[in-house]
Amino acid sequence: MSDPSDKHGPASGELSPQERAQFEARISELGERLGKVRSHRKADMDADAEMRGRGMAYGMRMAAELVAAVIVGGVIGWSLDWVLGSRPWLFLLFFLLGFAAGVLNVMRAYERMQREFAARGGKIGQSLPDDERG
Amino acid sequence: MPDPIHQFDLHRILPLNLGGWDVSFTNSAAFMLATVLLSTAFLVYAMRSRGLVPGRLQSVAEITHDFIADMVRESMGKEGMKFFPFVFAIFMFIFVGNMLGMIPGGFTVTSHIIVTAALAALVFVMVLVVGFAKNGLHFLKLFVPPGVPWYVLPLVSLIEVISFLSRPVSHSVRLFANMLAGHITLKVFGGFVVMLLGAGSFAVLAPLPLLMAIAITALEVLVAFLQAYVFTVLTCMYLNDALHPEGH
Repeated sequence: MSDPSDKHGPASGELSPQERAQFEARISELGERLGKVRSHRKADMDADAEMRGRGMAYGMRMAAELVAAVIVGGVIGWSLDWVLGSRPWLFLLFFLLGFAAGVLNVMRAYERMQREFAARGGKIGQSLPDDERG
Repeated sequence: MPDPIHQFDLHRILPLNLGGWDVSFTNSAAFMLATVLLSTAFLVYAMRSRGLVPGRLQSVAEITHDFIADMVRESMGKEGMKFFPFVFAIFMFIFVGNMLGMIPGGFTVTSHIIVTAALAALVFVMVLVVGFAKNGLHFLKLFVPPGVPWYVLPLVSLIEVISFLSRPVSHSVRLFANMLAGHITLKVFGGFVVMLLGAGSFAVLAPLPLLMAIAITALEVLVAFLQAYVFTVLTCMYLNDALHPEGH
């Protein structure tokens, strides 16, 4: 760490009056900007708090959609194997198909969710402008 | 420790036997009956005056009606209102059943997967019957997304069929799992309170899980409503596929 008194001001650790004024102006400006960003953010968070609660429920729904399709695919393959005696090939095939169906389910649920949130003015799943630029 | 699963036990209230099948009247059946009677009685009582300017109870009944009616119209359009009685009955049954389960000592009928599975299967069969009755074989267009080249169509259709068959599974498991998990959590925190009270000087910590249990109770009331709502929304969505199989 270098001693600031080497370059600025006569006494050690002292600021000249102009520098002090400049410094305080900068601090108050920063405070103003911070306050603006904060109020902005708080309003956003209040509006989104309810949507976040719902988001949790929707998240659980997504998980259920994915797992359900994988299980159904697996069960179909397993029973076909059992009937046709082709274990384990159809099980493996339908397990993968079930996974694909699960991803399809999740994509559809997500599309619906976005439409619903957009209708209510929520911001989940949408890009937010940067606070600094906003 | 108090058993958190005990609350889901079934007891025979009125043992019945029909041709070798055990069809006893259980506490679950009692709560289902109570659910049906309570929601019917509420609606009939609330609408008894049929005032042009609704009273308090009539407002509640009308708000419930409009809430479901808007949901049905939004997802299925005007012709979907044919299904309004069905959708409304499903919502009322699940919602009132969940709320009865929130009463201490009550039994939550939707915390048994057989109940939610029966409801989901009812919706699933309804979709199939209505879909084929209204659209005939055009209903199978549901499994043929538009704009898919013929050489991947078998694969895509297979995936669509699995996706379709997975609906009643996720439909029923979601409601069941939410209610089961919520009630177990409540009971576990309640159990902590009792255990801490019985553990000598640790009793000073007993209010902590009690506060948690209170908070979770509030959350559970919300979940009870939200899950009834989600189940109903999905019912509307699936029925919409029966009416309009072309577009997802």
